[in-house]
Amino acid sequence: MTTTPFHRLNAPSSEVSAPSDASRPEDSPLVEIHELGKTFGTQHALRNVNLAIPRGTIGLLGPNGAGKTTLIKCLLNLETPTSGRATVLGVDIRTSNRASRERVGYSPEQDCQIEGMAGCEYVTYCGQLSGMSFRAARQRTHEILDLVGMGQERYRPVDTYSTGMKQRVKLAQALVHDPEIVFLDEPTNGLDPSGREHILSLIGSLWRELGISVIMSSHLLRDIERVCDRVIIIGHGRVLEHDTIAALKGRHRRVVEVAPAGEVDRYVAALAAAGRPATRLSNGRLRVESHSDSVDWLLRLMQAHGLPPAEIVPNPDALHELFIAAVTAHHGHEA
Amino acid sequence: MATKLDLSRWRVRPHGVGYRRWTILFTGLRLLLRTRFFRLLVAVAWSAGLAIAVLGFVFSQSIASGGWLETLAAHSSARLEAIVIALGGFVSLYPDICVRGIFTLIFWVHSFVGLWFTLIALTVLIPRLITRDRASNALTIYLSRPLTTLDYLLGKLGMILGIILLTWTGPLVFGWLVSMLFATNRDFIVYSIAPLARALAFNGIALVALAAIALGVSALARTARNTTILWIGLWIIAGTMASPPHAPAWIRRASFSHDLGEVRERVLRLDTALSDAATQLPLLNPRFATSLSRAGERSRADDFGGALAGLGVFVIASSLVFTRLLRPE
Repeated sequence: MTTTPFHRLNAPSSEVSAPSDASRPEDSPLVEIHELGKTFGTQHALRNVNLAIPRGTIGLLGPNGAGKTTLIKCLLNLETPTSGRATVLGVDIRTSNRASRERVGYSPEQDCQIEGMAGCEYVTYCGQLSGMSFRAARQRTHEILDLVGMGQERYRPVDTYSTGMKQRVKLAQALVHDPEIVFLDEPTNGLDPSGREHILSLIGSLWRELGISVIMSSHLLRDIERVCDRVIIIGHGRVLEHDTIAALKGRHRRVVEVAPAGEVDRYVAALAAAGRPATRLSNGRLRVESHSDSVDWLLRLMQAHGLPPAEIVPNPDALHELFIAAVTAHHGHEA
Repeated sequence: MATKLDLSRWRVRPHGVGYRRWTILFTGLRLLLRTRFFRLLVAVAWSAGLAIAVLGFVFSQSIASGGWLETLAAHSSARLEAIVIALGGFVSLYPDICVRGIFTLIFWVHSFVGLWFTLIALTVLIPRLITRDRASNALTIYLSRPLTTLDYLLGKLGMILGIILLTWTGPLVFGWLVSMLFATNRDFIVYSIAPLARALAFNGIALVALAAIALGVSALARTARNTTILWIGLWIIAGTMASPPHAPAWIRRASFSHDLGEVRERVLRLDTALSDAATQLPLLNPRFATSLSRAGERSRADDFGGALAGLGVFVIASSLVFTRLLRPE
């Protein structure tokens, strides 16, 4: 019997199999893309995309129409690539179409319910479509629906759900069959703040606690920054940046935002005296350029001048600025 | 809100693609059977099967020596008793013509009823096949799973097969089986097999044609209402246009219900059964024999080849529609 680091359902030992990529080394790329292209008529949605995406939580960033959703759909064979090739979990998406999606989950951006089905029926059905027995799918459905924060609403028809509940049930159907990788397209759209917090925290823990890699497309940079450890920036069908968030921030000019509890003028004077002139922002905060990612120099300055406490945010909006810079640079290059 | 992950990992070898196709079929039918209208329709369709069983039973009892019909006639009058005994003798002397003829007639009538129920059931089913999945983006959910477009279509085809089994083939076979249980001798089984086989052959042809047309219509429109209108247009309006006796051949062939009617006459062979009865049975009344011959001629298929070609065009055109719109990999 194959042992796994996780608990499993009560299944006969003969039915237990190793994960599909048991022979693949842990550090092998999750997704490999070579010269992938996709055109719709005369419009190029993807142009010669080359990527090797490692395991982890990866954010897919890009302006509207950049090709994020097309890239995900090509990897799932929902769109047929015009050129190039790609493998998902080591399986070629064109030559092994069905097998390439065996251990993949997908939560699309748009609603995708089946009319007349209750939430738990829908998720169970999705589990069965991935090859789970009814019993296993039903048991796991309830676990996953608990996890995404759905209570008794799970017994109501999906078409009566609010946008937030539809997002949760979409995430549940993507996870029900225990995938090794999930593609999430705008997973926090339409969620209220507490729901968004819950879902982001869940997405963040998928890789950390369950080893499920996540490729998450979002236009909300803060969501990506909070959850992901790597970012791929796409613009006009090309990959503009692909690196870890830490490395990308390292390339950004260092800035610290300070929100003093009081005595703002003394803060400004102290910073100016230290040779770091501060800019007052409209929200009352002060923005100061820093020479490193560390804020120790600021803490020492506050101590030396007896300044009141303040909220300190290092590199705020770094990803945003980097994103804008990458897209703008590409525009300039194209022009 | 704190998130606590305590998941059981599912590491069981997944079921094969056959199971996944079966899941689409079974779940689709289960959802359909939740509607009261559909449950009622199935109940009525099965009562037609029960009617076949009752007719078969009455027929076998009526010619059995010492059966209830003979007993009843004996209580009425000597003349009626003589007629019933003569009928029994007739069937004993010509079992091939009488049993085959009666069962051909029963299955011919049932083919109208069964086809009618199937067409009504398809009116309810067609929007649920592909239209709603496309409109609500559920198709994305199917195809992002380890399923291909072919698997999806086979699952949906299975739903149509299930519907036809529930409303047509099932009641037909049930009715025949039950009537055979009460048959008074094996001639009933031997000579009713051929009409049953022909009825099932017609069933199969109708299944292929209706399945292709239903999938094509369901894939063509984006809303349930438009799909239903398109289906009713193809079924009832085209059928009405084809019904006048002097309608041009191409208009008649453009109606799949007319084409199926022609195929029914050729496959079930009611004309042969009636003309055999008229020519081979020693009927005492020549006018009755002439009426049987004329009825046989009227039920002969005039345009079998054209009807088959018409159905072929429907199947090919529908297949092109759903394969093009669903883009199989």
